[in-house]
Amino acid sequence: MRYMLLILLSIQLFAVDATLKITKDVEQRAKISLVDSSVGLSPSLSEKFFSILVSDLKISGHFVPDTEHYRESSQSNFIAPNLKSKEYVLKYNISQQSGLTIDIKLFRASDATLLTHKDYSVSSSAKYPFLAHKMVTYLNDTLKYPDISWINRYIVISRYTTAKRSEIVLADYTMSFQKTVIRGGLNLFPKWADKDQRSFYYTSFAGAIPTLYRLNIYNGSKTRITSSQGMLVCSDVNYDTNKILVTMAPNGQPDIYEMSASGGGASRVTSFAGIDVNGKYTTSGSLAFVSNRMGYPNIFTKTISGSAVTQLVFRGKNNNAVDAYDNRIVYSSRESHNDYGQNTFNLYLTHTNDSSTRPLTSRGVNQFPRFSIDGSTILYIKQYQNRSSVGYINLISNQNLLFPLGGKVQSIDW
Amino acid sequence: MRKKFIIVLTSVSLLLMSGCAKKDPKPSSDMGNEIVTDTVSIDENNFDSSTGNGFNSSSDGMKSLYFGFGAYTLTPEMQSTVAFNKNVLTQKLQNGQVKLEGNCDEFGTDEYNYALGLKRSKAVKDSLIAQGMNGSQILLVTYGESNPQCKEPTDSCYARNRRVDLHLVK
Repeated sequence: MRYMLLILLSIQLFAVDATLKITKDVEQRAKISLVDSSVGLSPSLSEKFFSILVSDLKISGHFVPDTEHYRESSQSNFIAPNLKSKEYVLKYNISQQSGLTIDIKLFRASDATLLTHKDYSVSSSAKYPFLAHKMVTYLNDTLKYPDISWINRYIVISRYTTAKRSEIVLADYTMSFQKTVIRGGLNLFPKWADKDQRSFYYTSFAGAIPTLYRLNIYNGSKTRITSSQGMLVCSDVNYDTNKILVTMAPNGQPDIYEMSASGGGASRVTSFAGIDVNGKYTTSGSLAFVSNRMGYPNIFTKTISGSAVTQLVFRGKNNNAVDAYDNRIVYSSRESHNDYGQNTFNLYLTHTNDSSTRPLTSRGVNQFPRFSIDGSTILYIKQYQNRSSVGYINLISNQNLLFPLGGKVQSIDW
Repeated sequence: MRKKFIIVLTSVSLLLMSGCAKKDPKPSSDMGNEIVTDTVSIDENNFDSSTGNGFNSSSDGMKSLYFGFGAYTLTPEMQSTVAFNKNVLTQKLQNGQVKLEGNCDEFGTDEYNYALGLKRSKAVKDSLIAQGMNGSQILLVTYGESNPQCKEPTDSCYARNRRVDLHLVK
């Protein structure tokens, strides 16, 4: 009997461990309430702005935002008694004067001490999401939490409009701001060319064969990089942004090449009679890529200059997309073969230097995984119950967010 | 008897626990703003149930070739279609060029799907060359999943989209 009790007690201890961890994680985040004292702002914009603030605070992994949208007529230093249980109260006032301006004050809730005061403005009301992102980034930095500046970055998306037609769109990470930068024609696979997001590469199908261009999004200047029969995709840009990995097929055979950012000095990195695509720089001098050299799509690694290829993933029979951040690898795996309706694709996180694998999603079609610029968060596209969303997984806090996404996405980068 | 019972119970418990330890870690929750939508409405009246048969999205008298899921090799039946297309090209091509457009169903993602379309058009090109055509008169391009002939979530529709179309370059 005492053995039985010992066994049951052991099982119970394992069960409790997970719960304790979650509770601890939540307790480490700062509870914060938002008080809106804007006057004359449309109710619609007011609600959308509040909603983005809540999303930003959640995905940061550093805050537990109060989802009640409090309002007050003026931005006073008074903290309502019902908010004193929070750690912080953020009061903000948005005014619409030649664009949007926001005035923010952060208080310690318990004694109404003003911790910081700041103004931000944007030239166009349409860019209100970036105002919210800037504001939350500032709060995060003021409170000395780990960097979350990735929320200020543009996402670039190509999406199909009709058969053989697409558009390339810039958006904020919540997809609340969207601006079409290339419309008409078939323009695919946009990939940021620099860390400051001033230019991106994309493939144009306007000519007889695919051509790779680099477009400056601020002055519209377009530079031809190279052309290739069959297919041509800029898969990745190295850390110094002076080299790119491309998939191209000068002889009809898709392989990975490395070339300078201006298109010169192409050298073949892979050579295989099947399919090698999706090259991604990993640690210095190496890449991860997708290949069907085992008879099905899977993830492999090799050095840029060497010839030996190493199988990285040993689970699943259809792992057809990959992204890398140093030694971290995220890949998409097809896990069902339904004849009718959608199949299941899930995302997994693994590493080049050990075999540990962590599932990141559990249902629906989860594709196009992309690391944030700091490697802390993964963006992906989710199809579930006939709806499409852009999703984010904060790898440190495990926070997840989904935002509705219109149209069929062809490729995405951020 | 009591000793035996304890040994059996301990063994079963340890087995259960070791099973737990080897189990994949639980996925982190991907709950978010999930949206519940209407069910799909499928209309199969316009489609032949056989794979690709009866459909053609090539032009200039040539016939499209249809592939199995994830496949890019030609079956003997498809070789006959290539031979048919070769005869058409012999009559019509002269000094011009023919464009082979590889296409895929909506599965597969990103670059892999485009490469799959390319391998399909390359397989047709290699077969045309083997049957005597001049390779310099053949252009290859892949449209991945961007050029579907139908969009219904049915196997027959997916099969229609896994194809190579042939067009004279004009």
